[in-house]
Amino acid sequence: MEGRIIVVTSGKGGVGKTTATASIGAALAMEGNRVAVIDMDIGLRNLDVVLGLENRIVFNIVDVVNKKCKIRQAAIKDRRIENLFLIPASQSDNKDILSTSGIKRTAKTLKKEFDYIIMDSPAGIEKGFENSVVAADEAIVICTPDVSSIRDADRVIGLLYARSITPKIVVNRIIPKMVAKGDMLNHQDIMEILSVELIGLVPMDEQVVISTNIGLPLVMQNDSKAGQAFKRIARRLNGEIDLPIEIPISKTGIWNKISQKFGLTK
Amino acid sequence: MLKELIKKLIGHKSSKNTAKKRLQFTLVYDKLEMNDNILNELQSDIINVISRYFKIDKKSLGLKVKHDKNMSALVFNTPILCVKREKA
Ligand SMILES: Nc1ncnc2c1ncn2[C@@H]1O[C@H](COP(=O)(O)OP(=O)(O)OP(=O)(O)O)[C@@H](O)[C@H]1O
Ligand SMILES: [Mg+2]
Repeated sequence: MEGRIIVVTSGKGGVGKTTATASIGAALAMEGNRVAVIDMDIGLRNLDVVLGLENRIVFNIVDVVNKKCKIRQAAIKDRRIENLFLIPASQSDNKDILSTSGIKRTAKTLKKEFDYIIMDSPAGIEKGFENSVVAADEAIVICTPDVSSIRDADRVIGLLYARSITPKIVVNRIIPKMVAKGDMLNHQDIMEILSVELIGLVPMDEQVVISTNIGLPLVMQNDSKAGQAFKRIARRLNGEIDLPIEIPISKTGIWNKISQKFGLTK
Repeated sequence: MLKELIKKLIGHKSSKNTAKKRLQFTLVYDKLEMNDNILNELQSDIINVISRYFKIDKKSLGLKVKHDKNMSALVFNTPILCVKREKA
């Protein structure tokens, strides 16, 4: 069976595309799939450091697309998670260096060698975005619960629809305390505004920073709430469509405080 | 007004409801925003259709998209010089 190419995109920068690509990719590999995560942020690569693989880069995606090397030579095999491979971006080129036909040809080969190919798109809706979506079968749009991110997500969703891709939404960086107070849009509000399918809710989590600091995939950290949320997104992508979406709750919320007092917490 | 008052009395303002309303309006406006090319094409199409029935002054007409608080309207203004007897 052919692999699936999934692009992770957002419009707005800094909302968690790279974090999501690394986490979902790692989680899919831990489930037993052959996974390639590809950094399409040419000139500003980061997926390598988030995964802790920056010291092992030899070739990159530009080399692959321009036939300077084989996919096998550019794909860095993760030593902690079996079946996880990273194809890094080039740091010196700019986004115009990739040709559409080259990307499509590369995509064809990738689909033969991997079950999942996750593309980490750069911010924006220009060439870098185009390059990331041109070969995609599916898309995950990341947004955060703020006005500008949701507006940009809406724009990107429109662009994806124009390419006959129906995206799924991940809401990242949810702060349950603020949602409870009514000072942050909740996921129902966001879904009402964007009207596309939701695939996961990821809380704000200090572990994200820590895991990036040490270059250890978030999903390998069992006490990470965000990591667990990304694992569930991966399972949902991988066919467990009935797996319920967990709504992040605050440990210090009023109900939790009360239930803690009465010894009702699990 | 009443809503504001109630909110003030309760002493709680939920900023997310404001965010939601602003977003819903913004997204509608974003989609209505048309570029000049589309407007120009639309204008020449409209002129062609109207010219089949009326003689109009092609230079003094105007086409605008007007945004109101609650809706958007396409406004087309043209002085009619005379009615054509037969359809061209
Ligand atoms: N759930 C989260 N909790 C806490 N911090 C997070 C979370 N998700 C992402 N971050 C942090 O937000 C920052 C931006 O994340 P990331 O680099 O993944 O975004 P991006 O969308 O890829 O950015 P860019 O548009 O620049 O490529 C990083 O510092 C990351 O550690
Ligand atoms: Mg990134």
